[in-house]
Amino acid sequence: MSDQDDTTVPDDPTTHVETLEEFANSFFYGSRSNLNLKFLASLDPSDAADTIGALLDTIDDVLDHGDVRALVDRFIEVQQQAYRPRAGATERFAYPTGPFSLPSKPLSESRVALVTSSGHFVAGDDPQPFGVTDMTQTEAEARISDFLRAAPTLSSIPTDVAAADLRVRHGGYPIAGVADDHQVALPIGHLRHLAEQGRIGELADRAYSFVGAASQLRLRDRVAPEWADLLRSEQVDLVLLVPV
Amino acid sequence: MSVGHVQRAIEEVGIPTASVYIGAFAHVPRQMSLARALVTPHPLGRPLGAPGDTQRQLAVVDAALDLFEVDEPTIRDFPLPYRPAPTR
Repeated sequence: MSDQDDTTVPDDPTTHVETLEEFANSFFYGSRSNLNLKFLASLDPSDAADTIGALLDTIDDVLDHGDVRALVDRFIEVQQQAYRPRAGATERFAYPTGPFSLPSKPLSESRVALVTSSGHFVAGDDPQPFGVTDMTQTEAEARISDFLRAAPTLSSIPTDVAAADLRVRHGGYPIAGVADDHQVALPIGHLRHLAEQGRIGELADRAYSFVGAASQLRLRDRVAPEWADLLRSEQVDLVLLVPV
Repeated sequence: MSVGHVQRAIEEVGIPTASVYIGAFAHVPRQMSLARALVTPHPLGRPLGAPGDTQRQLAVVDAALDLFEVDEPTIRDFPLPYRPAPTR
């Protein structure tokens, strides 16, 4: 055996064997960043492996019958389990009671406003986070830590906006479905339809969207009360909220 | 949590609210004592249903509006399992 055959060089990245933990973590804003699967990083490595195995166990139905139901159901099940608070964990922003207001008029006579944390804005009215012009989705994901430290910006969206003029960018969730069909999180057309049907009185002139991955304290203590006052000044009767 | 803060603030100024949470965040409306919430069995990033599934999206919005009929804080489940929409 020659000296050249000795491959035990500890710092040589070409010889590094990725651990299970590194593999799972790579989906969380890492080399395999995938916001559908970022929850894998929150699991114990062995649980992450079991989760991936459980998903792959559904492959027969997909391959043989094109039936994705078991895969979809299992994916949602494992995603929900991963986000569920751990037993005994301290709950942030836990409140024993909450404010509750009753409608002042029937739903069929009410002006309904829409607020979503989807990260939508209208073309030409980019909130330009951190002063960046035309920030891409990839850049937003790379700067998720900056977003989480900053107060969110509210984007105002005319509810007669053309779908082609809508944009969405958010570093905290997989935006593919929303980018494909904005009504997945911004159901302006559905609410307009329900107004035409007489189910609600009318849709407010403006909907609102923001990036929910933000400083929660700044949002709670300063920004959210300002937004509530804004909605009150617009004399809306009810508000539908869509978190992502 | 972010929408929870906003929802609570809006209720504080006297405007009734209802929110739609996915199952992964089902603990949020309970933990934050939100006024009205509908919890769907949807994956992250598809809060009202699959893209292109207008029928389901509309049904979820309609179920959320039903919550304005209640006279006390309410968290309700939207029961039907999530299904992808056909490729458009």
